[in-house]
Amino acid sequence: MSKWILGGIVVVALIAAMSGVGTYNALVALDQGVQAQWAQVENVYQRRADLIPNLVETVKGAAAFETDTFTAVTEARSKVGQINAGDLANNPEAFARFQQAQDGLSSALSRLMVVVEKYPDLKATQNFRDLQAQLEGTENRIAVERKRFNETAQAFNTKRMSFPTVIIAGFFGSRFNEKPYFKAQAGAERAPAVRF
Amino acid sequence: MKRLLLALVLVVWPAVAGADEVPVPPPPGRWATDTAGFLSPSALQAADATLEAYERSTGNQVLVWVGASTGDTPLEDWTVKAFERWKVGRAGLDNGLVVFVFAADRRVRIEVGYGLEDEVPDAVASRILGDDILPRIRAGDPDGAVLAGIAAIQSAISGTLRDAGSPSPSVDAPRDGGRRSGRESSPFQDLLTMVVGGILAIGFLILLITNPSLALYILFSILSSGGGGRGGGGGWSGGGGRSGGGGASGSW
Repeated sequence: MSKWILGGIVVVALIAAMSGVGTYNALVALDQGVQAQWAQVENVYQRRADLIPNLVETVKGAAAFETDTFTAVTEARSKVGQINAGDLANNPEAFARFQQAQDGLSSALSRLMVVVEKYPDLKATQNFRDLQAQLEGTENRIAVERKRFNETAQAFNTKRMSFPTVIIAGFFGSRFNEKPYFKAQAGAERAPAVRF
Repeated sequence: MKRLLLALVLVVWPAVAGADEVPVPPPPGRWATDTAGFLSPSALQAADATLEAYERSTGNQVLVWVGASTGDTPLEDWTVKAFERWKVGRAGLDNGLVVFVFAADRRVRIEVGYGLEDEVPDAVASRILGDDILPRIRAGDPDGAVLAGIAAIQSAISGTLRDAGSPSPSVDAPRDGGRRSGRESSPFQDLLTMVVGGILAIGFLILLITNPSLALYILFSILSSGGGGRGGGGGWSGGGGRSGGGGASGSW
């Protein structure tokens, strides 16, 4: 008789331990997904930042008088560079600052592209057209990776907030914080269109 | 009764008519597909044969897909969704590329998978659009546009596109290979894993002694999870499908 009770307790303990481990591992997997996607987001933003010196140089060659616009772009870019992109996906405030700085760079860049409108000679050069294609492509990549980040963050948050995972996640403190989302820029459905 | 029906129609109608969404179709069976009657049958056939032979010899999956419109969805959103759903490119390599043409929207997009971003960077895709595809469509030669586009894409991938090297290569920031970054586990986690693993092992041993058949059943069901595959038909079959939104768009 006591053998059966012992067996029953073991089975129950086994099931509880297994579901706890399973939940923990599921959270880790989803968290890793968010981290990996965050790396992708940083990657495409870095790609844009790398484009800027070349772009500014090219435009400067043809439109040397637009110093204000150049300064705005350069300043916005250095602001982006100052943000230490560490574990931002787990830190909502730093995440918001990151997004704000990147959005600032987006609008500075779109103002630069508006200025370029006044210089048809510049627009006709192959070098500028290549840069423009790269900027367009990069803005599109940013939109895509941000959207994917939101999807992975949502998958994590849904799992994390649902019962009984929410109890298990609570044991680990800030290890499984809720993930922040990218929000659309006010008044802009997509990244600024750089089309002519 | 009639009135009821009318009321029902009035309620349902806006829901149907309101959203002008064009859903992404299931994966096309062939390499070149024209759902809008944009290409002549012979050109479509030629494009399909070229692309099929190209995949057989190089492994790179280049597709052409002609539709009418993306509806209210922005072009780039639609194409990246389609790329993902169709799983273009081989699994793990994502070496796929799709030329999307939307006849009613008068727009073209070259969508590049992760695996071909180095061979077809945005500037090259944009040049192929601007030099090979769009001028021919504007001149009323859609067949020639698509065939010339395919040829240009193939030579871009093989690295023989004329003056492909001239845009300063340093500008196109290289894609970071390690985009799946690892994360170290903390010592606490390691300890936890060991403790839980130990408990599980002991529990399993006890169960194995008290009830061997149940223990074996649990072991078997844990081991047998996972697996599965997908078969291919006569046409292309994908497995990749990851595109970061690289490529270029243009309109005529």
